[in-house]
Parts: sequence; structure tokens; C-alpha cells
Amino acid sequence: MIYSETFDVIVCGAGHAGVEAALAAARMGASTLLLTGNIDTIAQMSCNPAIGGQAKGQMVREIDALGGEMAINTDVTGIQFRLLNESRGAAVQSPRAQCDKKAYQFRLKHTLELQPNLQIFQATVTGLVFEHGRVVGCRTNLDVEFRGRAVVVTTGTFLRGLMHIGQNKNEGGRLGDFSAKTLSASFLEAGIELQRLKTGTPPRILGRSIDFSKMQEQKGDAEPTFFAFHDTRQDGELFHVEQTGERRSGWAPGCEQVSCWMTHTTERTATLVRENLHKSAMYSGEIEGVGPRYCPSIEDKFVRFADKPRHLLFLEPEGRATNEFYVNGLSTSLPFDVQLEMVHSVPGLEKAVLLRPAYAVEYDFAPPTQLLPSLESKKVENLFFAGQINGTSGYEEAAAQGLVAGVNAVNKVRGAAPMIITRQEAYIGVLIDDLVTKGTREPYRMFTSRAEHRLLFNHGSAELRLIHHAKAHGLLSSDRIARIEEKQSTIRRWIEKLESTRIAGGSLADHVRRGAAESVLPEELKNAHSAIKQEVVYRVAYKGYLEREERHIQKLGEIEKIKIPPDLDFITVKGLRKESALKLSEIKPHSLGQASRISGVNPADISILMVHIEASRAGERKERL
Amino acid sequence: MSAHSDTIAALATPAGTAALAVLRISGPDTLRLCTELFGKTPLPRQVSRGNYRDRQGAVVDDVLFTFFAGPKSYTGEDTLEISCHGNPFIAQRILEDLHARGCRPANPGEFTQRAFLSGRMDLTQAEAVMDLIHARSNRALEAANRQLAGALAREMEAAIEELLGVLARVEAYIDFPDEDLPPEDVDILRRGVENLRRRAGRLLATSHYGAILREGMKTVLIGAPNVGKSSLLNQLVGRDRALVSPEAGTTRDFIEEQIVVGSHSVRLIDTAGLNPTPTELERRGMEKTLERLGEADLVLLVVDGSQPAAPLPDSAAARLVPDKTLVVANKADLPHRFVAGGLLAGLETVWVSALQAAGIEELTQAIERRAQSFQVTGDEELVAVSARHAHALERARKALEEAVAKIESRGAVELLASDLREALEAFGEISGRVDNERMLDALFATFCIGK
Repeated sequence: MIYSETFDVIVCGAGHAGVEAALAAARMGASTLLLTGNIDTIAQMSCNPAIGGQAKGQMVREIDALGGEMAINTDVTGIQFRLLNESRGAAVQSPRAQCDKKAYQFRLKHTLELQPNLQIFQATVTGLVFEHGRVVGCRTNLDVEFRGRAVVVTTGTFLRGLMHIGQNKNEGGRLGDFSAKTLSASFLEAGIELQRLKTGTPPRILGRSIDFSKMQEQKGDAEPTFFAFHDTRQDGELFHVEQTGERRSGWAPGCEQVSCWMTHTTERTATLVRENLHKSAMYSGEIEGVGPRYCPSIEDKFVRFADKPRHLLFLEPEGRATNEFYVNGLSTSLPFDVQLEMVHSVPGLEKAVLLRPAYAVEYDFAPPTQLLPSLESKKVENLFFAGQINGTSGYEEAAAQGLVAGVNAVNKVRGAAPMIITRQEAYIGVLIDDLVTKGTREPYRMFTSRAEHRLLFNHGSAELRLIHHAKAHGLLSSDRIARIEEKQSTIRRWIEKLESTRIAGGSLADHVRRGAAESVLPEELKNAHSAIKQEVVYRVAYKGYLEREERHIQKLGEIEKIKIPPDLDFITVKGLRKESALKLSEIKPHSLGQASRISGVNPADISILMVHIEASRAGERKERL
Repeated sequence: MSAHSDTIAALATPAGTAALAVLRISGPDTLRLCTELFGKTPLPRQVSRGNYRDRQGAVVDDVLFTFFAGPKSYTGEDTLEISCHGNPFIAQRILEDLHARGCRPANPGEFTQRAFLSGRMDLTQAEAVMDLIHARSNRALEAANRQLAGALAREMEAAIEELLGVLARVEAYIDFPDEDLPPEDVDILRRGVENLRRRAGRLLATSHYGAILREGMKTVLIGAPNVGKSSLLNQLVGRDRALVSPEAGTTRDFIEEQIVVGSHSVRLIDTAGLNPTPTELERRGMEKTLERLGEADLVLLVVDGSQPAAPLPDSAAARLVPDKTLVVANKADLPHRFVAGGLLAGLETVWVSALQAAGIEELTQAIERRAQSFQVTGDEELVAVSARHAHALERARKALEEAVAKIESRGAVELLASDLREALEAFGEISGRVDNERMLDALFATFCIGK
């Protein structure tokens, strides 16, 4: 049957990408349907129970600045908060949190349930329905067909997902879950290319079988750094986290932060890995997909860094109401019996009981150079992709794309211009620009080093950097917009004041730059909200460098601003080298800036394109006259 | 289309020795530069005369200059044209000085591109503009490849590899604070960056864009002992009054002289005699000669024309490339007994008498013909490429200097990284943009990341 209502947006998949896509679309007022194979695994943390970390933490704050849910959900369900790189400059500090895995899911599920314009339905999507080169809906395993004006696909690792534990193989995107076996055919039918990637996850262990006395404790920060911008939300909007003090109406009230525990592999672990290497799914050639360099299996670590005698392991709690622990650093595709012996070779885990084995998972992804910067497919109109299907890794990367895809699906249906966040504005911009311009060979993870202008991307400035997008696409309440604008002008005023107030030895700002902020700041600023104080001090202390970045951006900005008409036929542009023309036709860049980042396109090609675009524009002007 | 924010400078006439050389400057800083250089606000479109002084205040040349106020100029922007004497070194020194004053070396076809974008050209000329950029950039690419061939390319690649290694070391501690990394070692870092700074300085010295002109076509004289190589060299050098930079040989084993032939610069290198049955000492000299032969743009094989052709040592004969070899039969005043046979058959042969200074004119003409096909000094694009390289290397060196200072003052590591990235970007301008993936490759190869 065909379901009676036609939705504006259908989101297939309710992982970290899917939930943000669905919420963004519904919050923009579009009628939205979220389809998931299992409502009980909405926003599941399939790997480690943590959000944030370097570059990712900044990205979560950007998601918050664009009206997304990940930040607030983490704040409410976090059980340990740490600010990484606290001793370094603000630009490279990142919040990170351990979350209660189940609480995280349940709160998001509840949020979705309460969201107006949003309908959730449990069904497995088996295929897409195309009409005249555009997507119009999807089929499900329940033989119910849903019609939508735009479709956002967020399949995670479920597209022909295959799990490996030694020689043992199970179909599925996650242990205990199913595999989307027929959907791939739909993509191929539409001319969308698919490739394989691989990722892995370590074993989970029963807490009461762990001897923590042999491990080193890692506590949370005394004063937690949150992800959501609490300072620009109304009191009524405040969700109360246990760490915020008296107001304890959030989830699981009244608890202390929970610790992580550090231990390490031993010589015995190394021997076990070496002796059994041939049994590893990865080393015996069972796996064709490419795995990430930054998250190697324990096999990889001992093989590639043979001179390193031991590797650190972190035990991360999966929640307050569970005794399950995640063994960070022990990802493997060795057989279960070897895993067991390996775990027992670790100090503190001699008698550990395994709850779930480690495994590697292979899955289909669609190389993201097939996408426009809006995350819409170049092949099929109104079809959007987000998350691991685009070759990324990580909850934060997925959520960021989901948010952008959701917003742009609505924009597309409404005939509005897409939201394109540039790589000069935010990590989200870097992420999407890298994906659609360069593609990826391994599961793509964000690093601060990928951003040319990371000095400008300190986590505290996310709202200030992205407010124009939030305004343009109606992503935040007018009340919050007003507060952000007020914050912006307060910060500007304080900076001016510090620069212009002179005391012995220069302006107040000069003193701040010499590292004496605490002794010279006016009382009023000291007592201001930390969000304001920190931003003012950072901008003043790093003034020279931040201005240098701005100048850089301004210089490059010329070509970023020159848009390439979407129907431009590069092959016919005179003087363009053939290989560049072919590359450009494949990527279809939206601006000269993006074109300049395509590998193999050189500055002369850009000059020629610039002349061509100006000539056709001038030509059009003339015709109109 | 928005106005350009930077000011560009380049040679507008073909490089090489001609009566005049014209340098063109275009962009928002032009007026300021003009006033700074000649001490007065220029009247548009009026030719003035003045001394061009470099930043140190030294007079480089007596020049004519004309200021064109935008939009009534070729590019539509403020433009300055400086005519100096045609000596290539003068033009180069002025260009170098302009770059030091903040001008950027122009990209291929950039003046014309600016002219078009600012509406100074008819729409119908767009295609011609695109063709021009295409052609010029191809020539620039060729010129760059020619310069980057061999040793310089290897040096560049090595410098980039080393920089990536240092950068990876810095980035690892920024991006993976929670990982089990070895303690940060400031000394390794400092040594690495200092080494790189020296490298950039060295590259700057060798790739210095005057060098191409200064060095010119590398021409090696070889031949058996006593055939008259040295007197021939003296004739070639002595004859040419336009001698530019008489430099002593770069090594003790060779005598080097610089001459100008027509509009081309030629570097003459005299070598030790090739003796078919050498002594131990001679053998070592010959090895060095063979090395020079390999690098030569032109080989003058000097023979005694009064004797039948003597066999060359096999090692030398094997290195002769017919297109790059000119046989000079000396002692033409004596009976001609030499016949170019065997390996030398078909090679262009010029008869001279070094003793009587006869045939030297014909020889220089033959050399000029070779130089023309070699085109080292006639190619303005080659000069422009060298200018861009030097500009980029200077930028890299400055950034690395700042990096050293930051390490010494224990400055913030993310700022150190930003200096190193600036240097990497500058290197990339020479040998092609360096993708961040390469830094990540270096990082993951050095450190075991994967908590």
C-alpha cells in the first residue's frame, strides 16, 4: 500500500545523522517522517560511549549554534566531562564527555516523540522510488510505501553490513542488528557508485569482573565544560544537569561524575596478537574494505609499531544503570578465543568477563564526490545523504551532516537556496567541503589540522560564527538570536574598552596579551558570564594572529565568492586543460574557491574560469539591456 | 567582479640583453610605491626621469617612469611602468626590490586578465584572454619544470618531506592530547625547524632568479691536452667587451667565465685535458670533467686541426650528445689534417685559430644559434617563474624564522603550527600544493594513534 500522507521530508535511519536531519526538518516546519529499523536503537552509540574530543567537540558546539540536538543531549546525559588541551590556547581546546549510552538514546527518542511536525515509524527501508530522475519516496519491508518530496538517507554501517570476528561472519550493521541488503541495489539502479569501507569496535566487559586497583583513575574536570550554549538560552529552556548545582531535574539526578580507568597491554598481549595474526579477519584477507589510520586495530598497532612494547587502554563506563565497560584501544577482528586470552593478559582484566566481543564491520558507502555541497545527490534530485554512507566516521561528523542535509532537504522542497557553510566559517564547512571536493579513502574523521583557519574556530565562538546561517534558515528561536546578537555586541564593546583603556605600561589589552589578564580585567568583566569573558580574553590575547587569519580569508575570499553557474559545461571552456575540464565536470564545484581545491586543477585553470564566468555574465547583462 | 587586493609586478619586455627593459606594476599599492620610490606624487601619463634606489638607498639605475591612474590604464587599476637599461641584472634587481616592497610576482597572463575583469577589454576578447593565459601558463609550467628538473626538485621534495615530519610532530600533540605519545621533545623540534630554515635559505641562494641569467647556458670546453683550449677560452672572453661577471671558477679544477653572446648569457667552463692514458692525478681530474659533461647545455669539443682525429677516451665519448656538441678545430693557421669521422661524423665543425684570432666570429655565431634553441635568456617566463620561486622561498624562510622564535620563547604550539603551515604553503607554490593528507600520513606513520 501507499501511505496516505505525502511528507515534505523522509529520513531513512535514526542514528546520529538521521535524528538531526529529522529534527532540523521538522523544526523548520516541514512535515517529516523518520523511518528506522528499530525504534529502540534510536541514536545508539555503536562504538564508544563518548561525544566530543579534538575538533569533534568544537563541531558539536557548532551543531548547537545551528539548532541541533547533540550538544544539549550530551549535556543532559553526560556522566563525565573533560576539557582537552586545557593548557593550550582556546582554539585547540575541546570539550569531551562520557555519556550514559541508554540515557542518551532515551532522551533523544523522547525529544523526537515530542517534536511537532515529526512522525516516527519503525520499518526497514528496502528501496527508493524514483520518478523522472528524482526521488519521490521509499519502499519498506512491511510493504508500505511512503511518499516524500525529499529523502535523506543515513544508513550508517547497515548497507550490506558484514561483521567479522576471526573467520566468523554475521550479516548486520551492528552486533545484534540487521543488514540493509536490498537498498544498495536502488542506489546502483540510479547510477550512484558504491564502495566498501571497514571499521571496528572493541570488546565490552563486565565491571564487577574488573580489578580497578591495578588501574589508574581518570576523573572528570571539577568544573565541567558543556557543549550547549546555556548563556543564550532562556531560563525556561534550561535543562538541568546534575553538575549545575541545585537545579537537579535532568536525567539521573544527584550523582557524581563517573571515572574512566587506564591500563595497558602487556608482552603477553603482543605475543598473542603476533601468534594469531593469521586468524585475524583483517590480516587473512577476509576484509576488502579500507579501515581508518587513526583508529587501528590492536593487530595493526603491534605490527606497525613493533618497537612499542605496550599500548594504553581506557576503560569507559557505558552508563550509570549498567555495569558494562568499553575497552578503548582494543579494537580487533581476532577470533573470540584469542580475544578472551588477550583481555586476560591486561593488568586488572585477568578475570574479566566479556559481555560482547570485538568485531570489524564492512559496509557500503557512496563516495561523497557524488554530492553537491548541499549534500544533495548530483545524480538524483531531492535525494540527500548524511553520515557514514558519505564515508565519514564518528557521531559528531554524522550529526553535523544530518543537520545540514535536513535543512537543505527542506530548502530544496521550498525552492529556497541551500545552506552552504564554508570552510572559512566552521569545522562543519571543512567537513563537507573536504567530502564533496576530495572524497575520502578511509572513514573520514575531523582533525583540527584539516582546518586552515582553526585559530578562528575556538569552541566558544561557534554561535558568533554561525548566527547568519541560523537566521537565514530559521534554525533558532528569535529570542535566542537576540541573545546571541546581544552577546556579540557585548563582546565587541569589551574588546574596544580593553584596547582603549590605558594604564601604566600600555592598554589593558596589551597587558592581557602579556598574559596578565587576571590582574588587569575590570571587575565587571571578571564577573560577566564566562562565555563572554573567555571570548573577550581570547580575541584580545590572540589579536594579531586572528587578524592575520581574517586577512588570509579576505584574500582568498575573492574566489570563494565567485559562483560557478550549475549548468556550466567545462568541456567547452576555451583554454581549459582537458584533464582539468574532466575533473571539474565530475565534481561540479559551486564556487571558484571549491574548484581551486580540486586536485589537479591549477591556478591558470582558475584564471581562465574567472574570465569565462565574467564574460558570460557580462554577456547576459548585455542581452538584458 | 571585485577589485584585486594585491599589487603585482613583472617584467613586461622579454628578458635578456636589449636596449631597454620595461617593468610593470599594477594594483592598489601602486601610487604609494611610486611616491615612495621617486619621492613625489607622479602626474598621470607623464614620463618622468629618476634614480631607482633600492630599499637600502643604493642607486640601481637611472630610469624613466610613467604612472597611469586607474581606470584609465591597461589593467584598469593604478599602473606604473618603469623603463630601465636593458642589462638583465638591472631589471632583475629592480624586480627583486619591488617584491621586497610587497609586490607579488604576477601570474601568467595576469595583467591581461585584470584588464579584462575590470572591463578594459571588449567581451569578444574574452577567448583571446583565456588563450593567452593558457599559452603563458603552459610556457611557465615548462619553464618551471626545466628549473625544477634534477637537483632543485630533489631538494624541494626533501625540504617538503622534512617539513611534513616536523609539522606532524607538532600536530600530533594538538590533535591527540589523550593519546599515549612520547613526551614532547623541544630540542628535536628546534633542530628540525632550524635545519629547514637553513634549507630554505640555501634554496633561495641557488634558485635566486638572477642566477639563471647570471649563469646562462652552461658551455663546457673539452679536448686532449695542448689542443689550445685555454687560448680559445681567452679569445672568447677577451673578444667580448660585454663581459658581465668574471667569476673565478667555482671549483679549483675549473676556470669559469661569463660572456654575453648576442642577447644570451653563456657560462664557459674550461676543463682539464682528456688524456687517453692518464696518470693517477689526471684520472681524478678527468672524473670531474666527465661530471661537468653530464650537466652541460653545450659541449665545445676542441681538437687540433693540424692532426688527424685522435681517439677520445671511451668514458668521454659515451657522454657526447650530438645535438649538444660543437666541434672546434683549432690551429686553422696550420695545414688542415683533421677529419670529423667515427663518433664525430656529421657534427657541426667550426675552424678557428686561437693564436691568430681567426674564426672566432663564426664560432660565437654558432654558439648563439645553439643558445637561441636553448632559449635560456630569451624566455621571460623562465625569469618570471624564477621570481615566483624566489618570492615563495623568501616567504617560507620568514615563516620558519618566526617558528624558531616561537620555539625559543615557548610560544603557543598552535601558533607554531600556523607558521609551519605558512612555510609548507610557500613550498607548495613551487612544487604544487601539498595536501593535508600527506601531513596526516606522516603523523600516523610516526605516532601510534588509536585510543
